[in-house]
Amino acid sequence: MILFELIAPIVVMFALSFLHADRVRALLALSAFAIMLPAVQLLLQDKPFPLLGDYLIADRLNTYVLLLASVVGAGVALALMTLQRHVQVHPRAYFRFYRFFALFWVGLEMAILSNHMGLYWIGLEMATLSTVYMIKTNATRAAHKEAWNYMIVGAIAISLILFGIILIYAGAKPVLGEEAMYFTALLGAADRIPSPFLFEMGFAIVTVGMFVKMGFFPMNLWLANVERASFYPVAALFSGILESAIMVGFFRFSDVAKIVNFSHLAGFIFVYALLTMFVVAFLIYRAKDFMRLFSLSGIEHMALIALFWTSGGTFAALLHFGAHAFIKPALFLSTGVLESQGRYHIAGALRGYRGLKGKLFWFVVGLLMLAIVSLPPSPMFFSELYGFGSMIALAKSGHHLPAMIAAIVLLLFLLSIIFYRFVELYQSMKYEGEAVEKRVYGSELAALLLFAVGALALLLPFSLAFLRSIA
Amino acid sequence: MSAFLTGAFLATLVAALFATRLYRLLMWYALNSLALGLLALLIGSGLNDPALIISGVLTLLLKAGVIPLVLKRLTQRFALTRQVTPDIKVHYAVVLIPAILVFTFYLAEPIGRMVGGNANSVAVAISSLFLALLLMMEHRNVAPKIIGFLMMENALFLLGTTATGGMPMLVELGIFFDLLIAIVVINLLFRREEAVE
Repeated sequence: MILFELIAPIVVMFALSFLHADRVRALLALSAFAIMLPAVQLLLQDKPFPLLGDYLIADRLNTYVLLLASVVGAGVALALMTLQRHVQVHPRAYFRFYRFFALFWVGLEMAILSNHMGLYWIGLEMATLSTVYMIKTNATRAAHKEAWNYMIVGAIAISLILFGIILIYAGAKPVLGEEAMYFTALLGAADRIPSPFLFEMGFAIVTVGMFVKMGFFPMNLWLANVERASFYPVAALFSGILESAIMVGFFRFSDVAKIVNFSHLAGFIFVYALLTMFVVAFLIYRAKDFMRLFSLSGIEHMALIALFWTSGGTFAALLHFGAHAFIKPALFLSTGVLESQGRYHIAGALRGYRGLKGKLFWFVVGLLMLAIVSLPPSPMFFSELYGFGSMIALAKSGHHLPAMIAAIVLLLFLLSIIFYRFVELYQSMKYEGEAVEKRVYGSELAALLLFAVGALALLLPFSLAFLRSIA
Repeated sequence: MSAFLTGAFLATLVAALFATRLYRLLMWYALNSLALGLLALLIGSGLNDPALIISGVLTLLLKAGVIPLVLKRLTQRFALTRQVTPDIKVHYAVVLIPAILVFTFYLAEPIGRMVGGNANSVAVAISSLFLALLLMMEHRNVAPKIIGFLMMENALFLLGTTATGGMPMLVELGIFFDLLIAIVVINLLFRREEAVE
């Protein structure tokens, strides 16, 4: 029944997108909202809840991620309603966007809910290919070039992931047979894998594929360029949903890798993530437009989540993950208004708003700008505290306390560069430049408020208790 | 026989790295897929595994037949550049390619002892992955990059067939399905390109 509820809105969305009538626009947005219903229902079920045999199993981790993704999807649908007032978009392209949005959802639900490495990959590939066309809804030369770019680099990243999955499967097949494709079976037999070398090599290739796809070192700018060239809702989808789906896979694979050989996993992820943070912090310092700034900051957060998760700070990683999934798409959606004077007009971007809607808009965006750099009431502040705590706890149990403290000092230094840049930009947006009037529409404001409420809801006692229970 | 087919797989990929004409590149891709399909049939009939035989037949039909022909038609319809000179000069490539091969065989050495029997094929699959990446890197035009991506897909299949004795049927069909979507998206991208002009 829940499976049907998960699929039905997508089918409706796909079918409606062929009608090309202005009247169905609201219905399309409604169908995106309808995905939230089964996500909430799944949350209330006893876990693990089998959706489709052993293939799709809902546990605490992936229902949480699905819920985040469905809220982001709903927010993006709200913002899409007024897309054509901010940018020039052909009506046909608008409906085509929704057609591929539906395909995107099919792939994502498959990837997020799957307990099967193969299905996870198929879902991810489908989501990747459908976004190629979403980038193309912007009919400019730059968007066209970046669509090709995304197609090629995305295909390489995805192929690396599959290559790694095959190696992992080959490593575990002697003990598990065809069962070796299931994450649960793999986790159960992780200490009995006959060829750990094969598994670790597979894991390394999978991780590199995932990290390339999320823009880690050395591919730091490719995603930022793609998001720059496409319409802002696409960037919101990337940061809020697609990266979440990739992260779920990373969580599952690294859980197995922790058992196989923890010190290799920790060394690999720490070096990779710190290197990424180092490069990204300075790129953020040099960023000159909102899209690239937010995109690079997304890479920073993904690196932190990977670090926290690997250090055993499951709670910290998931809290950070949730906060990022709400705050970042909200900021991406707000760029539609912030950049209405042109791409590089940062000074004065938060000035010139009139009426209740306008005032509420600049207030919420200002708060979100400061929340993304972990100013205290933000969930990110708490997740970073807990995350660094788990890193220290990890080092105490081993013999690497000085190295870990050095790593944390380096991280804090890099985070302070990012913090400085964001606060500087905020001041420039609010106190410099001219006040040119900007229009804010109700649906965008509703989307921003939805995300802001979502981020705050993460701090409620029962959501914190739920996150703690995932570990 | 399987050693010969694995060798043919690698040889066609190396030949593709030196190709300077698009149709020649398509031909090497078709031959590469032919070797892969025959290998899957051979191993599949040896293991008596219907799933592997089906995927072998699909490989022969789709990758050695339909996809190269579709790409050729796309090339003609959208008048793509057919003179595709690699950016890496031949005398560097001659050094680089054996270096990659030696490196990957060295990398795969511990794996070979574990998988047993098909050690060479695993090493060839990993080196094909790197060589396909090289093929994507050394060209500026989009069409050879697509062929590089398809070659990479072939390397994945080679690994799937030789290292694991065939993936589960569901996964193989899923991969074929996604490959078809990729071709559709490529077609759409070309068509849009025409609209932008």
